[in-house]
Amino acid sequence: MNVNQGAVAQAASSVRVVIVDDHAIFRSGLKADLDASIHVVGEAATVEQAIAVIAEQRPDVVLLDVHLPGGLGGGGREVIAGSVPLLGTTRFLALSVSDAAEDVVAVIRAGARGYVTKTISGAEITDAVFRVAGGDAVFSPRLAGFVLDAFGTAPADIADDELDKLSARELEVMRLIARGYSYKEVAKELFISIKTVETHVSAVLRKLQLSSRHELTKWAAERRLL
Amino acid sequence: MTTVPARPPLARSSDRVIAGVCSGLAVHLGWPVKNVRVGMALATLAGGAGLVFYAWLWIMVPTADEAARRNARRPASPIAPAVSQAPAAAVAGTLSALPSAPPGPAPFGQAPLSQAPSNQASLGQAADGGAPQGEDGAAPPGARKPGEPPWFRWQSMKYGKEILLGCGLLLVAGIMIAQLLGVDVPLGTLIPAAAVLGGASIAWMQLDETRRAGLVNKTKADQAGGWARLAAGLALVVAGVLVMVSGSGSWEQTWLALLASVAVLGGVVLVLLPWALKFWRDLETERAGRIRETERAEIAAHLHDSVLQTLALIQRRASSEHDVVRLARAQERELRGWLFQDPGREAGQLSDRIKAVAAEVEDLLGNAVEVVSVGDAAMTEGHEAMVQASREAMLNASRHGGGAVSVYLEASDGQAEIFIKDRGPGFELADVPEDRLGVRESIIGRMKRHGGSAAILSTGDGTEVRLRLPAASTDNVEGKS
Repeated sequence: MNVNQGAVAQAASSVRVVIVDDHAIFRSGLKADLDASIHVVGEAATVEQAIAVIAEQRPDVVLLDVHLPGGLGGGGREVIAGSVPLLGTTRFLALSVSDAAEDVVAVIRAGARGYVTKTISGAEITDAVFRVAGGDAVFSPRLAGFVLDAFGTAPADIADDELDKLSARELEVMRLIARGYSYKEVAKELFISIKTVETHVSAVLRKLQLSSRHELTKWAAERRLL
Repeated sequence: MTTVPARPPLARSSDRVIAGVCSGLAVHLGWPVKNVRVGMALATLAGGAGLVFYAWLWIMVPTADEAARRNARRPASPIAPAVSQAPAAAVAGTLSALPSAPPGPAPFGQAPLSQAPSNQASLGQAADGGAPQGEDGAAPPGARKPGEPPWFRWQSMKYGKEILLGCGLLLVAGIMIAQLLGVDVPLGTLIPAAAVLGGASIAWMQLDETRRAGLVNKTKADQAGGWARLAAGLALVVAGVLVMVSGSGSWEQTWLALLASVAVLGGVVLVLLPWALKFWRDLETERAGRIRETERAEIAAHLHDSVLQTLALIQRRASSEHDVVRLARAQERELRGWLFQDPGREAGQLSDRIKAVAAEVEDLLGNAVEVVSVGDAAMTEGHEAMVQASREAMLNASRHGGGAVSVYLEASDGQAEIFIKDRGPGFELADVPEDRLGVRESIIGRMKRHGGSAAILSTGDGTEVRLRLPAASTDNVEGKS
């Protein structure tokens, strides 16, 4: 029933969302900010609550704070790890006040589809929720900067392992996002369609999640103190 | 003998014949230099005692320069007088003992030699240990650690060891004089008894110091090298003593004695090890606790100074949204810098300058300026011009764009690029009057003068300023990844 409801809701461009954050003030503020077409079906303040609520509600999108009390201390990463069976239908969007690369990269590598800072506006976060619900990745300028820093700004040779480097096109897209361009503006700048931009961003997200490049982890650890 | 506090501290003087020991001693004691030198020479005739004493002072007493430096570094510490007094006490003891000493005073010279370093170490640590207490400021001294003996008691005990040592040496000298005069002294029982007493007291003094403030930390004995040195020193001393005691005995005899003493030492270590380990762990725990406490106090102080003040300001200015946002942004920036700044990182790099300029613009105009940086470079003259150009661009973007400004910095081996983007209504460069120097002079002209370039792209959706500066011929650009 839940699955059906989710599919119908998406068709009617209405998204079911669970908000996970340990600050009640932030949760209520976020709820007020979100567009009317987004239904907040659950809230959670700890890792355990979050896993339970997500399993029960099977939302389309989980807005997930990176830092959460409870569990084994893993925060948002642990919530995603605890909801692995749902990863096909439920998507995670990481929210954070932390700029530390380690936190952000950890939660993305755990399976989040994007990362935005908590200071962004209600319209922006609504847009990000819809984008994630539609299966796309959401990159803030800062996350794009992290990616460029981690993967390096030189394009991949053909001989390279494709997971370890970004292609020239992907680099261009990341650079424009880091410069503050929206997907639409990126598409216009590069004379490609928005769909293509989304494809590139998703490819970068996949590389970020799957790359076994040991420098990535090392880099994030070094950047713990941004 | 050490109760006169007005004496100048003992330090080797620059007015010297060999090492400045005699003139330093003369200044300290208030005697004529000549007398001291003659006395030293006479003592040298008495079985080389003067020589040993001179050498010891040479090693132990700092030069006037060093002493001054030490005083300057720790003005309020009790270390300087103590260091200068400790040899003085021993001097008195040795001087009184030496002239009458029979040939071979070396073993007695040995005692103060091993004594003095431990004194210095303990006093140094007492001074160090005192520092954290002083930092508490408002907290009443000693209130945090009831277990620690009060400071004043330690101070009143400061010269106790020296006095004790002096008395001991006097006693030894007396016994020797008595022996020379033909009085029969039961040396066979006295020497072992003295050895046991001396050994025990040295061990206990050591323990006392360790408890006071991590001796190990000072001597770095927790490192492998420290342990190796300790073991080697012990082995040498044991072997040396054995050879001396067995007195030119056969090789087998020495070997057997060595074996036996090593076995005894091993047994002692076995017995004492658990106790030592427990002691060590207690010490570690206490130290960790103290570090945590200090850290917590520092964080509390910082939060009080910054965040609480800002929150108070925000409450008072709650009616002005603009002010509230600006205060919150400024506080956020400050806190982030404090929390996440890597202290080991080289400061003053290009990205730091750009962030500082962005913060300044943010404060000035109240619109958020978000900086994303990839890679970094050491500042050059060209980079400084670039920073100034970006500042101008940020000011324009914030003023005319009327919203958040995105700044992206990418520095690599070949070049540095900065992009400043806003979402304002945009403008035509051609429409800007000739006399307005902002864009033309401060951004484009400045970049060109330093071998870079600037482009301005403006549409109805916003404006982007693109600055590019190739790396100078000297390769001082450092890539981060």
